Amino acid sequence: MDPESLDLARLQFALTAGTHFLFVSLTLGLVTLVACVQTRATLTGSEVHWRMTRFWGQLYVVNYAVGIVTGLVMELQLGLNWGGLGHFAGNVFGSSLALETLIAFFLESTFLGLWIFGWGRLNRWAHLALIWGITLTACASAYWIMVSNGFLQNPVGAEVVDGVLRLTDVRAVLTNPSAVVAVGHVLSGAMVAAGFLMAGVSAYHLRRDTPDQEFFRRSLRIGLAVTLPFLLLTAGMGGMHLGVLEDTQPLKLTAAFGDGSELSRLQAEAEAAYGPGDYVPSPAGGAAFYLMVCCWVVMLVVSVTGIVLMRSDRRVAASRRRLRLLVAAIPLPFVAMIAGWVLRELGRQPWVVYGLLRTEDAISDIAPVTLTVSLIVFTVLFGVLALVNYWLLARFARGGPRAATLGRPGGDRPAEPYLTTAF
Amino acid sequence: METIAVAILGFFTLGYFLLGGADIGVGMVLPFLGRTDRERRLVVTAIAPFFLGNEVWLVAVIGILAGAFPELEATLLHGLYPAFSVLLVGWVVRDMGLWLRGRVDRRGWRLSWDAATVTGSWLVALSWGVVLGEILAGDVGGPGAAGAAVAGAAGAAPLFASHGLAFAALRLTGAPHRRARRAAGRIGEARMPVVTSAVITVAVLAAGVRLEPARAAADPGSLSFLVPAILVVTPFLVAAQAWSWYLFRHRVTEPVYL
Repeated sequence: MDPESLDLARLQFALTAGTHFLFVSLTLGLVTLVACVQTRATLTGSEVHWRMTRFWGQLYVVNYAVGIVTGLVMELQLGLNWGGLGHFAGNVFGSSLALETLIAFFLESTFLGLWIFGWGRLNRWAHLALIWGITLTACASAYWIMVSNGFLQNPVGAEVVDGVLRLTDVRAVLTNPSAVVAVGHVLSGAMVAAGFLMAGVSAYHLRRDTPDQEFFRRSLRIGLAVTLPFLLLTAGMGGMHLGVLEDTQPLKLTAAFGDGSELSRLQAEAEAAYGPGDYVPSPAGGAAFYLMVCCWVVMLVVSVTGIVLMRSDRRVAASRRRLRLLVAAIPLPFVAMIAGWVLRELGRQPWVVYGLLRTEDAISDIAPVTLTVSLIVFTVLFGVLALVNYWLLARFARGGPRAATLGRPGGDRPAEPYLTTAF
Repeated sequence: METIAVAILGFFTLGYFLLGGADIGVGMVLPFLGRTDRERRLVVTAIAPFFLGNEVWLVAVIGILAGAFPELEATLLHGLYPAFSVLLVGWVVRDMGLWLRGRVDRRGWRLSWDAATVTGSWLVALSWGVVLGEILAGDVGGPGAAGAAVAGAAGAAPLFASHGLAFAALRLTGAPHRRARRAAGRIGEARMPVVTSAVITVAVLAAGVRLEPARAAADPGSLSFLVPAILVVTPFLVAAQAWSWYLFRHRVTEPVYL
């Protein structure tokens, strides 16, 4: 295989998956918070909670759009550029992807359409059930994707027959520790991201004395209250995951934390098992790990300071510097999450299916020039998309609850009947 | 098991082309149906509640291909790499047009994103035409017959567009509705969607027969896990879709969120 094609296809997948992950991680966390706020609004009829549902829901929907289109491209890119993976592992890897699209993606999108456009038309309990349906299917989606990815990291429940993987033990695939522990880590990380976003945007409004101080004081409390427990849970899950790595991918760990003699021993072991070659993944995984941990420590400090701060409303108003800190902390969870992915995916190299299929053998036979064109087109497309969406998110975040158009009939008109009954 | 898997694949593929084809077609004829800013918004409203739920039928098809027919997926995507790449670009551009058009209240902003919706919809329709043309000509993975590609694109564009017009005629009111109805001509507003749906069904089924998916099915061990799971969830998927179609069954007279 052309080494240039390999690099191009890897770069393209990394960029697609990275962009996708930046947006879907927030989607996962934010939809859970929106569902909680909407539950409170539905149960108590509280006006401020309805406004919170619409404001945070608006940010969620704007964010969702990028997640879905990058997800579509990624799903097809697996087939377009990585035909060898489908050929070798399709029987196992393909099944979990198939179930992800049907059980999770399909329902999530159908429910989301109903939730957005059914606002004011559905009875409030049905509407509430929809947001919880979206939350559950989003989590299910994360689970199935991690089952797929976990299989690549730690291929259990399958055997190689005639050069192709066969599924032998469904339960082993579904309970793969590389999937289950990682999904816990990712989901709690998503909650941290959503918590910091909520706290940061609220802090922005509190610091500037914009209208709706009560609205943002409440939001700040929810956001911060979410960050601390989920920061601890993320770390706990991460620690457990290091244990999983010791058993399943010792080279990933050793390459990241650089014990030279251990590394040469593992390299020799791998050569004995798989033949000559370089089996040591890039040491950049270690840098990514330390970056992730540094972000975590800073987030922990910010979270604890914020929680001390929010004990009284007076203190919130008085400590503008700490509010600014919360605004500045918004990107931290995203940096940490991307770093975590870099560790996970770089550490899998040179394998795509750990110990069974090399990345260079998974790539489709495509000319470098075709891949270059595709890489440029999609990178420009996603770059524009991500920038436009970040700009929009910032605009809606700054605009506050009065600017939210989600859930308003006509988008910009007061509530009025807007249907005729002919079809 | 293979037969059931093929039936499932056919069901979701037809679902996509019949439902998704309608909103792609509406996107193609958006400038024809909506001449003013408000009219265009109403035309978009006709598909707004559905396009997200429609495109996931295709997501499901790709998933089913990856899980139950991995070899077929590899052959198709690899053999028709440029067409599928253009399809993806069109899909992304069109979705962004729809999602973003209403987010900033400026005429220039809406015009630009509507242009994206129209361009993207045409790219999607034309690349589907190329894909279907090549499949029907039996040339997937071959050198690529230019004739089949051109013929497919030339056939698919008017087909998607008329399917969209037929759907728009059922959904719209006022001037955009009159334009859609006029386009149906002598076939008539009520018969038009039946005709376009029938043609789409025939084209898709013919392409399906040509591909012989049963020969490329996954290992029985995988199918015996995947097929029952899909059969269990499909009624729920159809019920959720039916709920959406029932809730938004009325004609559009006022714009919504997009």
